[in-house]
Amino acid sequence: MIQPQTQLNVADNSGARKLMCIRIIGASNRRYAHIGDVIVAVIKEAIPNTPLERSEVIRAVIVRTCKELKRDNGMIIRYDDNAAVVIDQEGNPKGTRIFGAIARELRQLNFTKIVSLAPEVL
Amino acid sequence: MFWFAAAHRHPRLCISANRPAILSQIPAINQTLYFHGRIYPLPLSLANPPTLRISQSQGLRATSNKNGDMDDEMDDLINKYGEVVYRSKDQKPHAAEVDDDAESLSLAVTLAKVANEVKAADIRVLFVKPLVYWTRFFIIATAFSRPQIDAIGTRIRDIAEKQFKRVARGDTKPNSWTLLDFGDVVVHIFLPQQREFYNLEEFYGNATLIELPFNTESTSFRE
Repeated sequence: MIQPQTQLNVADNSGARKLMCIRIIGASNRRYAHIGDVIVAVIKEAIPNTPLERSEVIRAVIVRTCKELKRDNGMIIRYDDNAAVVIDQEGNPKGTRIFGAIARELRQLNFTKIVSLAPEVL
Repeated sequence: MFWFAAAHRHPRLCISANRPAILSQIPAINQTLYFHGRIYPLPLSLANPPTLRISQSQGLRATSNKNGDMDDEMDDLINKYGEVVYRSKDQKPHAAEVDDDAESLSLAVTLAKVANEVKAADIRVLFVKPLVYWTRFFIIATAFSRPQIDAIGTRIRDIAEKQFKRVARGDTKPNSWTLLDFGDVVVHIFLPQQREFYNLEEFYGNATLIELPFNTESTSFRE
């Protein structure tokens, strides 16, 4: 359940460290974003000397949420943190590697690029 | 009754572990035990399986010891039979798995050939099934411009649909990293810069490289 003002970790090596959600892409008045949704976010903290800087506005895909993800088979997945992967306007990830486990739902949502860079898919 | 008490604690485990064959023949009893949680009288043959029989004359103290032993026995039985009970459902026979692999391999090699015909360079087919569960083959290719990426993508989609009746998910517009997802086979078409940047081959370095029936080096004439 990511909403504007939610702070997220970054799960890739793009150079950003912390993001703050400022808008959810989708419907006009959408309240919450879940795994696989695209958000507009601002970089709150970044690693020095990387292409991304603090206070830059970027797009990101949510890959982990503390809110449970339910599957049709009854499986429930809940992560320890809220995390996102920075993408560009075309949908390519800005980083080259993803950190941590991600959910396979991302593949159904056409983020197979992120899935193929991830070390572990749940 | 002692046995019933133990059975109540592990209704599913102890019953299915002891007499899987009998239970499958009596579905009504099976359901009673699983769904209501309470144990109703069972046929004698079921109620007193030989390994768990406790005579009624035993005292209470002896029973508690026996319960501990019984738990051990249950564990042994579960170790012995539990896996068998669960295995039957979703496992494919080995032959079917091999067939699927062969079909995906033929699709992957055909698509690589098609990419080669449209002058994609440095084509690699990787067998990634041992590394990731979500797909079997990766095809990685380089194209030198967006129109070329478009051409390769369209050609691959057409052939896959005509010959294999597969429809790709993934990018529809040409992109600097265009990805076509056929389920078992995932095609990545990069511009040279992006290919170097993402370096997928290094990430999947442990995957087996599939030999291709044509020479991919000769196609990289523009480099």
